[in-house]
Amino acid sequence: MLRFLLHRFGILIPTFIGVSIVTFAFIRVLPGDPILLLAGERGVTPERYAQLQELLGFDRPLVVQYWDYLWAILHGDFGTSLVSKQPVLDEFLARFPATLELSLCAMFLAVIIGIPAGVIAAVKRGSIYDQSIMTTALVGYSMPIFWWGLLLIILFSVTLGWTPVSGRISLMYYFPQVTGFMLIDSLLSGEKGAFASAVSHLILPSIVLGTIPLAVIARQTRSAMLEVLGEDYVRTARAKGLSSGRIVGLHALRNALIPVVTVIGLQVGVMMAGAILTETIFSWPGVGKWMLDSVFKRDYPVVQGGLLLIAAVVMVVNLMVDLLYGFINPRIRQG
Amino acid sequence: MTDQTVTETAADTTRSSRSARRAMLKEFWYYFSENKGAVAGLFVFLTLVIVALLAPLLAPYSPDQQFRDSLLVPPVWDADGKAAFLLGTDAVGRDVLSRLIYGARYSLVIGLVVVTLALVSGILLGLVAGFFRGWVDTVIMRLMDVILAFPSLLLALVLVAILGPGLRNAMIAIALVLQPHFVRLTRASVLSEKNKDYVVSARVAGAGKVRLMTRTILPNCLAPLIVQATLSFSTAILDVAALGFLGMGAQPPTPEWGTMLADSREFITRAPWLVTLPGVAILVTVLAINLVGDGLRDTLDPKLKRS
Repeated sequence: MLRFLLHRFGILIPTFIGVSIVTFAFIRVLPGDPILLLAGERGVTPERYAQLQELLGFDRPLVVQYWDYLWAILHGDFGTSLVSKQPVLDEFLARFPATLELSLCAMFLAVIIGIPAGVIAAVKRGSIYDQSIMTTALVGYSMPIFWWGLLLIILFSVTLGWTPVSGRISLMYYFPQVTGFMLIDSLLSGEKGAFASAVSHLILPSIVLGTIPLAVIARQTRSAMLEVLGEDYVRTARAKGLSSGRIVGLHALRNALIPVVTVIGLQVGVMMAGAILTETIFSWPGVGKWMLDSVFKRDYPVVQGGLLLIAAVVMVVNLMVDLLYGFINPRIRQG
Repeated sequence: MTDQTVTETAADTTRSSRSARRAMLKEFWYYFSENKGAVAGLFVFLTLVIVALLAPLLAPYSPDQQFRDSLLVPPVWDADGKAAFLLGTDAVGRDVLSRLIYGARYSLVIGLVVVTLALVSGILLGLVAGFFRGWVDTVIMRLMDVILAFPSLLLALVLVAILGPGLRNAMIAIALVLQPHFVRLTRASVLSEKNKDYVVSARVAGAGKVRLMTRTILPNCLAPLIVQATLSFSTAILDVAALGFLGMGAQPPTPEWGTMLADSREFITRAPWLVTLPGVAILVTVLAINLVGDGLRDTLDPKLKRS
């Protein structure tokens, strides 16, 4: 297990260095003078220009500049926003819980619907259930989610008036953020109706963000189940006279879930990409919308720092999934 | 052996390889056509190709022509619809059907260009990495890990921010984020093929490195690449449409479906058809291609073939 761990970290470190080189290079390959870009719209006097150049270290060799950049990152300094003048890390941390809450709810929906759907499709292979589940999954997998979000808004918000269109909670509630998770904070606040408001704001974005992972998980579960159901030990279990519920639930599903866990882990990156679209449609104040807004505002330090932070989150989650995978599948650990 | 017999044998070989290829195609179609969904997908896709090719003949109007007296006309099945505009008009009086038909051109070209860029560069890098191993391999694969560490759409968004918004830059950005999958697939296939007897015998017979890579090994790695290329085709269409939707892809008044959706967001309550129709076009196209991709995977994967 230790060797497995070391191997994983061994891959992670060069990847992180590569990612930091990419984000370091980002501000330098932008067309135009980086100092003028950083100084913003109003421009600078020549004295201030020289001062900034020295301050930002642009007059020194690239290697030295990169080293300083890496050093600052490792000390938690991801730069300062041009627009808000706040540290990028603080802005990120203020918005990340919103994205995390949305992603967790979306993943929860995807898993609790996707896995049973995949199991049913595999067990009833070729039946009308299998066909309709797999057709739905393929439609979900092909869905332009930005359009799907708009459709749901037309149906549930505009026509039926069931759900709000944007934000995390109704403006009439105000309470301190304790955990950053609106569902938990609204409960802690004790205000009547706050929790229901948070749920009603969360439901549509979660459906939208969860759609593609749901389809992928259902498809993967089905094919993993089909493979496992053809194995000798399942036949043995059948020959022993075990009920098919027991075979599916106890013997087959546990082994079929191994590849499904990997796929769930891979969906984290997909979800961070989907979060940009989902958060934009629903005005959800998370990191995806923050990144897009910063791109439009040309707030380059935020784009640079945010890109690195989001990549770091995805890498850490993937590492955790790898470790989990090694934990549930002993063959990997020793291999 | 006389020269004549040599020529005859060569002719025989060409003839037999041609008939072998025909037999392979026949077998391929036999298994592919068993998958009804895949055939339906192929049919829809070919229809779209024809629509895109014949757009100037099929579209009732030019995609940019404005009818100032017919703004936001609903589709013909609505009570207020006009027969002249089957799918209605948008906020500046352009015919939605004509724009959707021309939009098919954009989507198919986007898919084609992005996949070609990603496929060619991916195969080249994957061949080099798998064939030469050593530090070249390490550098290429770590570079691919770096690209894959970023969420694809986010990286594409930032790339477009650097290169400047527009359809061409959006396609380059999406090709770049799709390319690592081709590199990994090619490399893995090369590694599994490289030490097989037929490659060794070609090497012993004196085949050079380039010939070994491109003529001997590559044709035997194609099956997974074809499947990946098909599935990437639909991803490319989706992602470029998403960039268009975010305002970073094709710019108005281009009748690209994602950009059309972005334009129509403010009319979501007044003119819902402007939102639904381009989305349906994207969904149908992507779904058709994914159906073909699934069919190809089942046909080309020998493990699944005879089960």
